[in-house]
Amino acid sequence: MKMWQRSLVAAFALLALFGGVAYAQAPVPSVEFPYMGNRTAVWVVAQLHILFAGFILGAPIFVVISEWLGYRKQDPRYDRLAKEVTKVTVILYSMTALTGGLFIFVLLAAYPQFTTWLINHFYLLFAVIYPLLFISETILLYMYFYTWDAWKGEKKARHIALGVLLNLIGTITLFVIDGPTSFMNTPVKAEGISPQEFLATASLWDKISNYSWMPLNLHRLVGNVTFGGFVAGLIAAYMFMGAKKDEDRAYYDWMGFVGNLIGVGALLFLPFMGYLLAYELCDYDASICPYMMADQLSMFFEMQGAMIGLIFLGSNYYIWLSMKRIEGVEKVRMTILAPVVMVLLPLVMTKVLTDYAVPDPIALAFLIPMLLAPFTLGRFIPLTVSARTVIKVGFLMVVVGDAIWLTPHGFVPTGAKLVAELELPSDWNFLALMPAKNSAAFTLVFVTVINYVIYNRAISQGTIVWGKIDFISQFVLIFLAFTAIWTMGLMGAVRSLLRKYYHTYNLLPDFTAESFTPTLSYAAWWITGITVVFYAVVSFAILVTLRPSDSKGHA
Amino acid sequence: MGNVIKKLMIGLVVGGALVGFTRVFEFPVIFQMMFFAYAMLGAVVFIILDAPAVKPMSGIKSVGVLVGFYIVLCTVYISGASMWPQYDPEDEKGKIEKILKPKRAATEQGKADELLARAKALDEQVKVLSARLKDLGGDQATKDQAAGGPGAPPATTVASSGDFMKLGEEQWQLQECYNCHKLKGEGGKKRGPELDNIASYLSVDEIKQKILDPKSFMAEGFEKEYEKGKMPDKYKDLMEEKDVVALASWLGTFKNTAVATPKPIKKK
Repeated sequence: MKMWQRSLVAAFALLALFGGVAYAQAPVPSVEFPYMGNRTAVWVVAQLHILFAGFILGAPIFVVISEWLGYRKQDPRYDRLAKEVTKVTVILYSMTALTGGLFIFVLLAAYPQFTTWLINHFYLLFAVIYPLLFISETILLYMYFYTWDAWKGEKKARHIALGVLLNLIGTITLFVIDGPTSFMNTPVKAEGISPQEFLATASLWDKISNYSWMPLNLHRLVGNVTFGGFVAGLIAAYMFMGAKKDEDRAYYDWMGFVGNLIGVGALLFLPFMGYLLAYELCDYDASICPYMMADQLSMFFEMQGAMIGLIFLGSNYYIWLSMKRIEGVEKVRMTILAPVVMVLLPLVMTKVLTDYAVPDPIALAFLIPMLLAPFTLGRFIPLTVSARTVIKVGFLMVVVGDAIWLTPHGFVPTGAKLVAELELPSDWNFLALMPAKNSAAFTLVFVTVINYVIYNRAISQGTIVWGKIDFISQFVLIFLAFTAIWTMGLMGAVRSLLRKYYHTYNLLPDFTAESFTPTLSYAAWWITGITVVFYAVVSFAILVTLRPSDSKGHA
Repeated sequence: MGNVIKKLMIGLVVGGALVGFTRVFEFPVIFQMMFFAYAMLGAVVFIILDAPAVKPMSGIKSVGVLVGFYIVLCTVYISGASMWPQYDPEDEKGKIEKILKPKRAATEQGKADELLARAKALDEQVKVLSARLKDLGGDQATKDQAAGGPGAPPATTVASSGDFMKLGEEQWQLQECYNCHKLKGEGGKKRGPELDNIASYLSVDEIKQKILDPKSFMAEGFEKEYEKGKMPDKYKDLMEEKDVVALASWLGTFKNTAVATPKPIKKK
């Protein structure tokens, strides 16, 4: 896509935004979308927009870090990685603008009254702040991309600074648009005053800085980096599969590893960010909690557990495959405390968190020394085991962690339908409670950290043979990206459904016939469809942008 | 192949042991099956770990395998999600309709819709009456109307005390109070006090006050929940006056002294 074409797309998006604001001034009857209905039409377009936006906001974060590492280490691979991911980002930026414009049109067509209401409450944000940020980001992204070759050598620091500025504007844009998004879930409120009365006196800042705003910002920021990392892995996998030369295979093997490292590194924080968001939502209104965890959406969370379990299995399997291509890995050993802590962690942690809920200092006094034991006490204990054994015990514990995470209180879609034949025995109900779920999440994270520590030792003691990784690893990278995107779609649906039969929770009811909780199966069909469309566009963008440069040879 | 069989055997043995263990502890069959599935998942993971390396592919073959891989992923995720118990939206639709009805009626659109519906109903009645007058004559139609015949307007129903209690119970269900409070041995997750003996402590007016202003009373032993404001301060905005009175009146009938309902302490 040429510069003028990209500019045209961006101009259309802006036109849609301003046109939308103007159109929203007059209440008009809604359009009925055939087959899928209005709610699903908005859902599909919004989710697609968020996926593209998530990538274009997440990718530049590690692109700049990669460029800086390349500059500092004088390793051209980092610079090449950064530039290739930026090429794809530029194409997907146009798609973000296009789907953003489409989103506004569909929202206005499907829910004109609500859209008018929301725009009126955030007029300054939608009409001035957001467009200005969007324009600034567009200019900065194109400047960043088109000055890549011109600003090298002595000017590289200037180029990196431009990248940092791009990220700063990108992050502010994310935080700004999270204002109305989170407001729909947790609108401003105050004790003793009706929401309508309080809203009438609330400032724009009051509306933006609502209960779930900062947790959503953090969750999306970390989620975008995870997502960007996994998509970088996907790019590497496609290019590795299509590479003709050993040199290219070696490079894309390395790129896949780095992409996965970034994805997994950010993923480790994601369960806790999600927990923080859920905690704030429950704190805002306690009735949201049972709706999520025990009633209508409980099985969505079972599916989420299954998907996160698969992501951890996949990412650890990738480390296992990466280890196999290190010559001398068989000599690497680790203290026996590592597998011992892995095995004990779910049991001890469940017990400790049941008796002393975090942030009780007693809980931390038990758990922190235990988690750090392999690193602090390991050197004093002469017993060691092979890296292979540690990783295999780790896999066993990932399966155990997944099992604990997935075990429900009952095999029913709502608590109202619970009967003894479908319910955990009362003595074992602790398996379905938060202490057990937290211990499962910690086990998955701990095993992954240990595996990366082992990998680090292996590369310092052995030699990596880049390009010689098992070919199945490329499918693992593709699997991780696909599963991460699917999970994003699932959790996006959950966050949106938490508003129940309201456009804006407890403030603006949704009187349409579609304001009910859909089945998980129905949601899965649409999430899969959205993921496939996104994947098809990203795959096309990768082939269009990187294959020609691959055939010509990279700079 | 020997490796695969060995690991499958281990998976079957572990799965069998888990089934035996869960049966001893009286886990329902569905949980026994679930634990067996976890054991088999473990076996598959260990088979994959030691599987031989896959040879590199290229060209059409790699594209074909890739497309096949995507189809498998889509199928597994859709069928996986469909295998979990599915919530029936029909369970919710009636509830939502009842909750939103007064809110819709209060809007301009709702008022216009109501007027249109009334005009339509009147129009239908006029049509029916005209047709009957034509066929049977004016006398017959008047008699029918007086006797409550097809042309008669609907009779005004007077809500009896029983209906009022039913409305209170319905509000308990609609507002999903059971998610936090146990009553008649059902619902509740210890988030809020059990309410079977609430009428021994609070009058109907006080219960109403607690619903509208959750900070007005604090249940003994629920200090933490009270401080955190666990009971939502939203019912004064969400519920109609008559619904709150009905719910409070219905709760005011619960005087089961065998249940240890915690004592409410007046705070406001």
